[in-house]
Amino acid sequence: MDKIGIGMGMRHLAEVTLGTEILYSFVIIACCLIIYFGTKELYELSSHKGIKYFRLSFLYFAIAYFFRSFLKFVLTTISKTDVFAFPTRSLGMVSLPLFIYFSSMSVMYLLYSTLYKRIKLKINLDILLNFIAIGLAIISLVIRNPIFNFYLHLLFFIIIITSVIIAKISEKKKHNHLYVVYLMLLFFWGLNILGMIIPTFFQTIQMLIYLASISIFLIMLYKVIKNTGGH
Amino acid sequence: MAKRGKLEIIRDILFIIQENRNSIKKTPLIRKSNLSTGRFNEYYSDLMRKRFVIEIVNNKSGKVVSLSEKGRKFLEKYQVIVSFIDEFNL
Repeated sequence: MDKIGIGMGMRHLAEVTLGTEILYSFVIIACCLIIYFGTKELYELSSHKGIKYFRLSFLYFAIAYFFRSFLKFVLTTISKTDVFAFPTRSLGMVSLPLFIYFSSMSVMYLLYSTLYKRIKLKINLDILLNFIAIGLAIISLVIRNPIFNFYLHLLFFIIIITSVIIAKISEKKKHNHLYVVYLMLLFFWGLNILGMIIPTFFQTIQMLIYLASISIFLIMLYKVIKNTGGH
Repeated sequence: MAKRGKLEIIRDILFIIQENRNSIKKTPLIRKSNLSTGRFNEYYSDLMRKRFVIEIVNNKSGKVVSLSEKGRKFLEKYQVIVSFIDEFNL
């Protein structure tokens, strides 16, 4: 095969079709919902706050991925390259703040599920987290500038990832590999959001991001199934 | 002796009931659970509210405490719950 042929083959491999998008979202939504419903009994029996936020985090991931795939579908069908280019009253434009709200809540709940014991605040943190997520969603609706939103979410994910690293450093139990999985999950989820805000940004490595994201969610699912005794 | 967590205390109370052939009066249950009456009552109301235990009145010994199906399920799943919390650092 000549160089042009190889180049075209590589480009074809990197190209993400709508079918790939749907399959990718379906696998991740399925993983999240299995985690959510698979831990239902444990939560009902224990009423444990950590399990509650852990489960909610995956439910919100599933909803966020649903809106993400919907946005991708709208982007593909109307051939736009920018989610902020949707007409203000269109369904696509309404889906973006919903996607941002649920995705922000999912990462914050995941972090909160491991840190809630160490956070000693007098205010209701649930309300604060919702306030932050709603704030990010409203900003995406009002300030329709991809670059601004890109940097805003980049900052948000840097804060979240830094919090996970600080939590890991201050952790008594040193041999916990879960933080690595959490960090990777947050990192690739961050790339997903940034890639959503500026779709052309990660185009060449999008397939790799998708494969990595699916692998991380499958690892989480495996760990949950293993620790719930397969129920 | 390390301080018991909430789940561990619930497990202990339910286990005492189970060990007593699923029928025990409230006073010996308080004594065996190693809790002050005030603390025990907090846990007991919680267990009643969640329907982990039920009170049965019988002619022979009066009002006794018994495990419900949900209480039995909790004991059965206790180890799974604890290892899940530990594994995911919750």
